[in-house]
Amino acid sequence: MSNAKNYLTHLLVLCFIQIVVLDNIHLSSYLHVNIYIMAIFLLPYRLKGVPLLLYAFFLGLLMDLAGSTAGIHAAAATLLAYIRPRLLHLTAIREDMDDARGFLHKVDFAWFFKYVSLSTLLFNIVFILAEAFTLGNLLLSALRIISSALVSLLFILLYYFVGLKKVRR
Amino acid sequence: MKEIIKLVIKYHFTIIFIILEAICFWLIVRHNEYQRMAFSRQATRLTGSISSMMARVKTYTRLDEINRELMEENVRLKNRIERLEIVRRDASWIEQSPADAGAIHEYFGAKVVNITFDRMKNLIVLNKGTSSGIERELAVATPAGVVGFVLHTSDNYASVIPLINVESRVSAMLKHGSYYGSLQWDGKDYRYSYLKDIPRHVKVAPGDTIVTSGFSPIFPKNLIVGRVEEISEDNTNFLKIKVKLSVDFKSISDVYVIKNHRKEEREKLEEKYAHE
Repeated sequence: MSNAKNYLTHLLVLCFIQIVVLDNIHLSSYLHVNIYIMAIFLLPYRLKGVPLLLYAFFLGLLMDLAGSTAGIHAAAATLLAYIRPRLLHLTAIREDMDDARGFLHKVDFAWFFKYVSLSTLLFNIVFILAEAFTLGNLLLSALRIISSALVSLLFILLYYFVGLKKVRR
Repeated sequence: MKEIIKLVIKYHFTIIFIILEAICFWLIVRHNEYQRMAFSRQATRLTGSISSMMARVKTYTRLDEINRELMEENVRLKNRIERLEIVRRDASWIEQSPADAGAIHEYFGAKVVNITFDRMKNLIVLNKGTSSGIERELAVATPAGVVGFVLHTSDNYASVIPLINVESRVSAMLKHGSYYGSLQWDGKDYRYSYLKDIPRHVKVAPGDTIVTSGFSPIFPKNLIVGRVEEISEDNTNFLKIKVKLSVDFKSISDVYVIKNHRKEEREKLEEKYAHE
């Protein structure tokens, strides 16, 4: 039970940071910081299948509403949910996966980093391309993808070390 | 049939994923067809109170600057009144043009409740809409210069395509020399835009003022757009002029919406020709 409460706290904090703070800091058109995807990373492993997809879709849609974009966050977040089970299996060692509680509890940092950085990169590819909605000017898009992915990853790791450790104590 | 159902059950995860992505794609496409306002109006309604509150806080922190800007504009307007007063006194011998540019325009004040400047297709939302007389395709400006034009309106809100939207095209010209071209943003830096289609032989120097040409019925003539920052020659016969926009989109909070009362008349005339 405390696990769910724990997760809910993280979800609220992440959404709050995203909507109230990060969506209002516009560093440059090359840097889109999306930290709320951490809420998908932190989900327990046992949540998979359709509920996982729908959860990510609506979380993305919420961000779309907050940032008055249409479908961009939802598209990228849904992809994250879709690849999550595969990516977890791909990066994890078998016995880690049996721990049903997710990254909230038992965390091997190398694994977490591998999974999160791959996911963040994929998220940003979809996010930036969907926003530009053109395949023209690919170099510019590539630059924006890489810089946004790096800075998002930075914020996510920051949250991992500051936020997660604190709640876990 | 049984096989199909089996297949659907087996791959339901992927199928639902594809359906969800299709919904997203549909949303994005709609948004690209300028349907965005319908969506962002809902969003404004939902997050409107938060946005308005944040806008209020932001405005409050900038009161000093806004005061100074208003003061400067007041001074300018007062000076203008003085000058016009002189003209009026001597009106008997000055031949006044009947199509006095000032008379055909009407100004509305509005506040910015939401603005983006880190996307390719940036958008501004104003707190005035049809109920205050705002219509589609009206010019939006600040005392510093052109901001953009109204895209859609709802009862109480209006969305504005700013100069820093890759889909915005504004007819602009050099203040000295009257050569005109098309102002287009490249999607990179919200401070700079590019003026294209100026012939190569035109003498342009950094610091020259760029103003609206008045060729489109949306923008009045001679609104300041920005200053020339850098001139480069691309492979064609035209110059590519980097323009430092005079409006700072990051600190924008109050704008004018400018209505041209003769726009319809003009458009009708232009349409007539097109139909002939």
